[in-house]
Amino acid sequence: MIDLGDLLAARIAKIVPDAIGAARAAELRERFTTAGYTRYALVDRGSYDELRDPSDLELFAALITIASEVTERTLALVEARVIRLGPGDYLLARHDQPRAPGHVELMLDLSPAVVPGAAVHYRRDGNVTFAVPSQPCALSIVGRDPSVTCNHTYVSKLHASGSVVRLVILLAHRA
Amino acid sequence: MWRVPAAWSSEKSVAAAWNAAEPFPHLVIDDFVSTESLDELLAIVDEEPVQPYESDIFAFEATAPEPTTAELRALRDELAATLAPGLSRITGKAVTRVDLRAYAYRPGHFLLPHSDHQDGLARALAYAYYLPSPTPPTGGELELYRCRLEEGELVATDSALVIEPRANRLVVFDVSDGSLHQVREVLSGLRISLAGWFHP
Repeated sequence: MIDLGDLLAARIAKIVPDAIGAARAAELRERFTTAGYTRYALVDRGSYDELRDPSDLELFAALITIASEVTERTLALVEARVIRLGPGDYLLARHDQPRAPGHVELMLDLSPAVVPGAAVHYRRDGNVTFAVPSQPCALSIVGRDPSVTCNHTYVSKLHASGSVVRLVILLAHRA
Repeated sequence: MWRVPAAWSSEKSVAAAWNAAEPFPHLVIDDFVSTESLDELLAIVDEEPVQPYESDIFAFEATAPEPTTAELRALRDELAATLAPGLSRITGKAVTRVDLRAYAYRPGHFLLPHSDHQDGLARALAYAYYLPSPTPPTGGELELYRCRLEEGELVATDSALVIEPRANRLVVFDVSDGSLHQVREVLSGLRISLAGWFHP
Protein backbone atom coordinates (compact mmCIF):
# COMPACT_ATOMS: atom_id res chain seq x y z
CA MET A 1 0.00 0.00 0.00
CA ILE A 2 1.24 3.50 -0.79
CA ASP A 3 1.86 5.56 2.30
CA LEU A 4 0.53 9.08 1.65
CA GLY A 5 3.06 10.49 4.07
CA ASP A 6 5.91 8.84 2.15
CA LEU A 7 4.50 10.20 -1.08
CA LEU A 8 4.42 13.75 0.26
CA ALA A 9 7.82 13.41 1.92
CA ALA A 10 9.34 12.39 -1.41
CA ARG A 11 8.29 15.78 -2.83
CA ILE A 12 10.03 17.78 -0.12
CA ALA A 13 12.99 19.80 -1.35
CA LYS A 14 14.13 22.64 0.83
CA ILE A 15 17.28 24.57 1.68
CA VAL A 16 17.84 25.96 5.16
CA PRO A 17 20.54 28.65 4.99
CA ASP A 18 22.96 29.13 7.87
CA ALA A 19 22.05 25.85 9.53
CA ILE A 20 25.39 25.97 11.35
CA GLY A 21 28.03 28.66 11.91
CA ALA A 22 31.20 29.04 9.85
CA ALA A 23 33.42 28.31 12.87
CA ARG A 24 31.60 25.04 13.58
CA ALA A 25 31.87 24.09 9.89
CA ALA A 26 35.63 24.72 10.01
CA GLU A 27 35.93 22.59 13.14
CA LEU A 28 34.04 19.74 11.46
CA ARG A 29 36.19 19.98 8.31
CA GLU A 30 39.32 19.71 10.40
CA ARG A 31 37.98 16.77 12.36
CA PHE A 32 36.98 14.91 9.21
CA THR A 33 40.37 15.55 7.61
CA THR A 34 42.06 14.16 10.71
CA ALA A 35 39.80 11.10 10.63
CA GLY A 36 41.01 10.48 7.08
CA TYR A 37 39.24 10.31 3.75
CA THR A 38 39.34 7.41 1.30
CA ARG A 39 39.72 8.16 -2.40
CA TYR A 40 37.00 6.84 -4.70
CA ALA A 41 38.17 6.68 -8.32
CA LEU A 42 36.17 4.33 -10.50
CA VAL A 43 36.07 7.24 -12.89
CA ASP A 44 33.01 6.19 -14.89
CA ARG A 45 31.04 6.70 -11.67
CA GLY A 46 32.84 9.22 -9.55
CA SER A 47 36.03 10.87 -8.44
CA TYR A 48 35.99 12.16 -4.88
CA ASP A 49 37.14 11.64 -1.29
CA GLU A 50 34.83 9.88 1.13
CA LEU A 51 34.64 9.44 4.87
CA ARG A 52 32.10 6.84 5.97
CA ASP A 53 30.25 6.88 9.27
CA PRO A 54 31.50 10.15 10.76
CA SER A 55 30.23 10.35 14.27
CA ASP A 56 28.80 13.49 15.79
CA LEU A 57 25.64 12.45 17.58
CA GLU A 58 24.94 15.94 18.87
CA LEU A 59 25.11 17.46 15.38
CA PHE A 60 23.10 14.63 13.86
CA ALA A 61 20.38 15.06 16.49
CA ALA A 62 20.16 18.79 15.76
CA LEU A 63 19.93 18.21 12.01
CA ILE A 64 17.33 15.46 12.43
CA THR A 65 15.26 17.84 14.54
CA ILE A 66 15.34 20.43 11.75
CA ALA A 67 14.45 17.81 9.15
CA SER A 68 11.61 16.43 11.25
CA GLU A 69 10.14 19.91 11.61
CA VAL A 70 10.37 20.57 7.88
CA THR A 71 8.94 17.21 6.84
CA GLU A 72 6.52 16.90 9.76
CA ARG A 73 7.63 13.29 10.14
CA THR A 74 9.55 11.37 12.75
CA LEU A 75 12.91 10.56 11.22
CA ALA A 76 15.77 8.31 12.24
CA LEU A 77 19.36 8.04 11.11
CA VAL A 78 20.14 5.37 8.49
CA GLU A 79 23.66 6.30 7.45
CA ALA A 80 26.04 9.25 7.19
CA ARG A 81 29.11 10.02 5.16
CA VAL A 82 31.22 12.99 4.19
CA ILE A 83 32.05 13.69 0.56
CA ARG A 84 34.91 15.99 -0.39
CA LEU A 85 35.43 17.17 -3.97
CA GLY A 86 38.32 19.15 -5.37
CA PRO A 87 38.88 20.56 -8.85
CA GLY A 88 38.12 17.86 -11.45
CA ASP A 89 35.98 15.79 -9.06
CA TYR A 90 32.37 14.66 -9.50
CA LEU A 91 29.86 12.01 -8.52
CA LEU A 92 27.60 10.82 -11.33
CA ALA A 93 23.90 9.98 -11.11
CA ARG A 94 24.62 6.40 -12.21
CA HIS A 95 26.70 6.00 -9.06
CA ASP A 96 23.83 7.08 -6.84
CA GLN A 97 22.00 4.41 -4.87
CA PRO A 98 18.22 4.23 -5.29
CA ARG A 99 16.29 4.76 -2.08
CA ALA A 100 13.03 3.22 -0.97
CA PRO A 101 10.04 5.49 -0.31
CA GLY A 102 10.11 7.27 3.02
CA HIS A 103 13.74 8.31 2.96
CA VAL A 104 14.96 11.87 3.38
CA GLU A 105 18.46 13.04 2.49
CA LEU A 106 20.15 15.86 4.33
CA MET A 107 23.19 17.57 2.94
CA LEU A 108 25.12 20.01 5.09
CA ASP A 109 27.50 22.18 3.07
CA LEU A 110 30.72 22.42 5.07
CA SER A 111 32.77 24.00 2.28
CA PRO A 112 35.04 26.87 3.31
CA ALA A 113 33.79 29.10 0.48
CA VAL A 114 31.35 29.15 -2.40
CA VAL A 115 32.61 27.15 -5.40
CA PRO A 116 30.85 28.44 -8.54
CA GLY A 117 28.97 25.73 -10.38
CA ALA A 118 29.54 23.08 -7.72
CA ALA A 119 26.00 21.90 -7.11
CA VAL A 120 24.04 18.85 -6.15
CA HIS A 121 21.34 17.90 -8.63
CA TYR A 122 18.33 15.77 -7.77
CA ARG A 123 16.72 14.24 -10.83
CA ARG A 124 13.54 12.47 -11.85
CA ASP A 125 13.69 10.60 -15.14
CA GLY A 126 17.03 12.22 -15.77
CA ASN A 127 15.72 15.77 -15.50
CA VAL A 128 16.98 18.07 -12.77
CA THR A 129 14.05 18.79 -10.45
CA PHE A 130 15.97 20.37 -7.60
CA ALA A 131 19.40 22.00 -7.60
CA VAL A 132 21.34 22.66 -4.42
CA PRO A 133 23.93 25.34 -5.18
CA SER A 134 27.24 25.76 -3.41
CA GLN A 135 26.20 27.55 -0.21
CA PRO A 136 28.46 27.07 2.80
CA CYS A 137 26.66 26.31 6.09
CA ALA A 138 23.35 25.61 4.35
CA LEU A 139 21.37 22.42 4.90
CA SER A 140 19.34 20.86 2.11
CA ILE A 141 16.47 18.50 2.93
CA VAL A 142 15.26 16.37 0.05
CA GLY A 143 12.77 13.53 -0.05
CA ARG A 144 13.94 10.38 -1.78
CA ASP A 145 12.13 7.54 -3.45
CA PRO A 146 13.21 5.10 -6.16
CA SER A 147 12.46 7.61 -8.93
CA VAL A 148 14.92 10.18 -7.54
CA THR A 149 18.63 10.13 -8.36
CA CYS A 150 21.31 12.50 -7.22
CA ASN A 151 24.62 13.70 -8.64
CA HIS A 152 27.33 16.04 -7.45
CA THR A 153 28.30 18.20 -10.43
CA TYR A 154 31.80 18.41 -11.84
CA VAL A 155 34.01 20.87 -9.95
CA SER A 156 35.76 22.99 -12.54
CA LYS A 157 39.55 23.18 -12.57
CA LEU A 158 39.07 26.85 -13.36
CA HIS A 159 38.51 27.19 -9.60
CA ALA A 160 41.91 25.80 -8.65
CA SER A 161 41.49 26.35 -4.92
CA GLY A 162 37.89 25.16 -4.82
CA SER A 163 37.08 22.63 -2.13
CA VAL A 164 33.62 21.20 -1.56
CA VAL A 165 32.82 19.33 1.65
CA ARG A 166 29.35 17.88 2.17
CA LEU A 167 28.02 15.90 5.11
CA VAL A 168 25.38 13.60 3.66
CA ILE A 169 22.89 12.04 6.04
CA LEU A 170 20.19 9.59 5.07
CA LEU A 171 17.13 9.42 7.27
CA ALA A 172 14.12 7.14 7.23
CA HIS A 173 10.61 7.65 8.46
CA ARG A 174 10.06 6.02 11.83
CA ALA A 175 6.39 5.21 12.38
CA MET B 1 38.19 16.82 -48.99
CA TRP B 2 39.06 13.70 -46.95
CA ARG B 3 41.88 11.45 -48.00
CA VAL B 4 43.06 7.99 -47.12
CA PRO B 5 46.07 8.35 -44.79
CA ALA B 6 49.35 7.65 -46.58
CA ALA B 7 50.36 5.14 -43.91
CA TRP B 8 47.43 2.95 -44.89
CA SER B 9 49.29 1.86 -48.01
CA SER B 10 50.53 -0.89 -45.69
CA GLU B 11 47.30 -1.97 -44.06
CA LYS B 12 48.90 -4.98 -42.41
CA SER B 13 51.26 -2.86 -40.34
CA VAL B 14 48.47 -0.40 -39.46
CA ALA B 15 46.29 -3.34 -38.39
CA ALA B 16 49.14 -4.61 -36.23
CA ALA B 17 49.49 -1.17 -34.66
CA TRP B 18 45.73 -1.05 -34.06
CA ASN B 19 45.72 -4.40 -32.31
CA ALA B 20 48.80 -3.59 -30.24
CA ALA B 21 47.68 -0.13 -29.16
CA GLU B 22 47.27 0.40 -25.42
CA PRO B 23 45.10 0.71 -23.41
CA PHE B 24 42.72 -0.36 -26.20
CA PRO B 25 42.89 -0.33 -30.01
CA HIS B 26 43.24 3.16 -31.50
CA LEU B 27 44.93 5.09 -34.29
CA VAL B 28 46.25 8.66 -34.31
CA ILE B 29 46.58 10.20 -37.78
CA ASP B 30 48.14 13.64 -38.17
CA ASP B 31 47.73 15.92 -41.21
CA PHE B 32 44.57 14.08 -42.12
CA VAL B 33 43.22 16.78 -44.47
CA SER B 34 45.31 18.66 -47.03
CA THR B 35 46.13 22.20 -45.94
CA GLU B 36 44.33 23.56 -49.00
CA SER B 37 41.08 21.88 -47.95
CA LEU B 38 41.03 23.16 -44.37
CA ASP B 39 39.48 26.56 -45.17
CA GLU B 40 36.67 24.93 -47.13
CA LEU B 41 36.08 22.46 -44.30
CA LEU B 42 35.95 25.22 -41.71
CA ALA B 43 33.52 27.24 -43.88
CA ILE B 44 31.11 24.27 -44.05
CA VAL B 45 31.28 23.65 -40.30
CA ASP B 46 30.83 27.36 -39.61
CA GLU B 47 27.42 27.32 -41.34
CA GLU B 48 26.06 24.69 -38.94
CA PRO B 49 24.26 26.05 -35.84
CA VAL B 50 25.42 24.82 -32.45
CA GLN B 51 23.64 24.77 -29.13
CA PRO B 52 24.70 24.01 -25.56
CA TYR B 53 24.31 20.51 -24.13
CA GLU B 54 24.73 19.68 -20.47
CA SER B 55 24.26 16.64 -18.21
CA ASP B 56 26.06 15.19 -15.23
CA ILE B 57 28.79 13.83 -17.51
CA PHE B 58 29.22 16.58 -20.09
CA ALA B 59 29.02 20.27 -20.90
CA PHE B 60 29.75 21.45 -24.44
CA GLU B 61 28.24 23.01 -27.53
CA ALA B 62 27.37 20.82 -30.49
CA THR B 63 25.47 20.69 -33.73
CA ALA B 64 22.31 18.61 -34.03
CA PRO B 65 22.74 14.82 -34.44
CA GLU B 66 21.66 15.14 -38.07
CA PRO B 67 23.46 17.92 -40.01
CA THR B 68 21.11 20.65 -41.22
CA THR B 69 23.10 21.69 -44.29
CA ALA B 70 23.50 19.60 -47.41
CA GLU B 71 27.21 20.44 -47.42
CA LEU B 72 27.82 18.92 -43.97
CA ARG B 73 25.75 15.85 -44.82
CA ALA B 74 27.86 15.42 -47.97
CA LEU B 75 31.01 15.80 -45.89
CA ARG B 76 29.78 13.08 -43.51
CA ASP B 77 28.94 10.69 -46.34
CA GLU B 78 32.27 11.37 -48.03
CA LEU B 79 34.05 10.58 -44.76
CA ALA B 80 32.38 7.17 -44.65
CA ALA B 81 33.16 6.49 -48.30
CA THR B 82 36.81 7.44 -47.81
CA LEU B 83 37.58 5.65 -44.55
CA ALA B 84 35.10 2.84 -44.00
CA PRO B 85 36.63 0.32 -46.44
CA GLY B 86 40.14 0.70 -45.03
CA LEU B 87 38.98 0.82 -41.42
CA SER B 88 36.98 -2.36 -41.93
CA ARG B 89 40.09 -4.21 -43.08
CA ILE B 90 42.38 -2.65 -40.47
CA THR B 91 40.15 -3.09 -37.44
CA GLY B 92 38.34 -6.26 -38.46
CA LYS B 93 35.04 -4.52 -37.81
CA ALA B 94 32.94 -4.15 -40.94
CA VAL B 95 31.73 -0.55 -41.04
CA THR B 96 29.86 1.26 -43.80
CA ARG B 97 28.36 4.48 -42.49
CA VAL B 98 29.26 7.20 -40.05
CA ASP B 99 27.52 9.92 -38.11
CA LEU B 100 29.06 13.32 -37.58
CA ARG B 101 28.53 16.30 -35.31
CA ALA B 102 30.64 19.37 -34.72
CA TYR B 103 31.61 20.12 -31.12
CA ALA B 104 32.85 23.31 -29.52
CA TYR B 105 34.44 23.08 -26.09
CA ARG B 106 34.99 26.41 -24.37
CA PRO B 107 36.65 27.01 -20.97
CA GLY B 108 34.85 24.91 -18.36
CA HIS B 109 33.51 22.38 -20.87
CA PHE B 110 34.24 18.67 -20.40
CA LEU B 111 33.14 15.13 -21.16
CA LEU B 112 33.71 12.82 -18.20
CA PRO B 113 34.92 9.21 -18.47
CA HIS B 114 32.54 6.88 -20.25
CA SER B 115 32.52 4.13 -22.84
CA ASP B 116 30.54 4.76 -26.02
CA HIS B 117 29.09 1.26 -26.02
CA GLN B 118 25.31 1.21 -25.73
CA ASP B 119 23.13 -1.75 -26.58
CA GLY B 120 21.11 -1.16 -29.71
CA LEU B 121 23.22 1.70 -31.07
CA ALA B 122 25.69 -0.45 -33.03
CA ARG B 123 28.59 1.91 -32.56
CA ALA B 124 31.60 -0.01 -33.83
CA LEU B 125 34.37 2.61 -33.93
CA ALA B 126 34.57 6.11 -32.48
CA TYR B 127 36.44 9.00 -34.04
CA ALA B 128 37.36 12.60 -33.36
CA TYR B 129 38.89 15.00 -35.84
CA TYR B 130 40.35 18.21 -34.44
CA LEU B 131 39.88 21.38 -36.45
CA PRO B 132 42.22 24.36 -36.36
CA SER B 133 41.07 26.79 -33.68
CA PRO B 134 41.37 30.60 -33.75
CA THR B 135 42.41 30.25 -30.09
CA PRO B 136 44.01 26.83 -29.59
CA PRO B 137 42.88 25.28 -26.32
CA THR B 138 44.73 24.36 -23.20
CA GLY B 139 43.18 21.22 -21.80
CA GLY B 140 40.66 19.36 -23.92
CA GLU B 141 42.90 16.31 -24.32
CA LEU B 142 41.42 12.92 -25.07
CA GLU B 143 42.34 10.64 -22.17
CA LEU B 144 42.14 6.86 -22.50
CA TYR B 145 41.83 4.58 -19.48
CA ARG B 146 42.99 1.07 -18.79
CA CYS B 147 40.12 -0.85 -17.23
CA ARG B 148 39.80 -4.08 -15.38
CA LEU B 149 36.49 -5.84 -15.72
CA GLU B 150 35.13 -8.65 -13.57
CA GLU B 151 31.94 -10.33 -14.74
CA GLY B 152 31.26 -7.39 -17.03
CA GLU B 153 31.64 -4.80 -14.27
CA LEU B 154 34.45 -2.24 -14.13
CA VAL B 155 36.44 -2.76 -10.96
CA ALA B 156 39.50 -0.60 -11.67
CA THR B 157 40.24 2.36 -13.94
CA ASP B 158 43.63 3.97 -14.51
CA SER B 159 44.66 6.77 -16.83
CA ALA B 160 46.84 5.25 -19.56
CA LEU B 161 47.20 7.69 -22.45
CA VAL B 162 46.61 11.38 -23.13
CA ILE B 163 46.17 12.55 -26.73
CA GLU B 164 46.44 16.24 -27.51
CA PRO B 165 43.67 17.76 -29.63
CA ARG B 166 46.17 18.92 -32.25
CA ALA B 167 44.74 20.66 -35.32
CA ASN B 168 44.15 18.38 -38.34
CA ARG B 169 44.57 15.23 -36.23
CA LEU B 170 42.20 12.30 -36.54
CA VAL B 171 41.82 9.78 -33.74
CA VAL B 172 39.93 6.52 -34.26
CA PHE B 173 39.33 4.14 -31.39
CA ASP B 174 37.51 0.94 -30.60
CA VAL B 175 34.10 0.92 -28.97
CA SER B 176 33.61 -1.67 -26.25
CA ASP B 177 32.58 -1.84 -22.59
CA GLY B 178 36.21 -1.34 -21.67
CA SER B 179 37.10 1.57 -23.98
CA LEU B 180 36.76 4.16 -21.27
CA HIS B 181 37.77 7.70 -22.27
CA GLN B 182 37.15 11.32 -21.47
CA VAL B 183 37.69 14.80 -22.86
CA ARG B 184 39.55 16.69 -20.20
CA GLU B 185 38.17 20.07 -19.21
CA VAL B 186 39.14 22.92 -21.51
CA LEU B 187 40.88 25.57 -19.43
CA SER B 188 41.31 28.26 -22.07
CA GLY B 189 40.79 28.78 -25.77
CA LEU B 190 38.43 26.90 -28.02
CA ARG B 191 38.52 23.21 -28.95
CA ILE B 192 36.65 22.47 -32.17
CA SER B 193 36.15 18.96 -33.45
CA LEU B 194 34.08 16.70 -35.63
CA ALA B 195 33.21 13.45 -33.95
CA GLY B 196 30.93 10.47 -34.08
CA TRP B 197 30.87 6.74 -34.70
CA PHE B 198 31.31 4.36 -37.57
CA HIS B 199 28.49 1.81 -37.82
CA PRO B 200 28.14 -1.52 -39.66
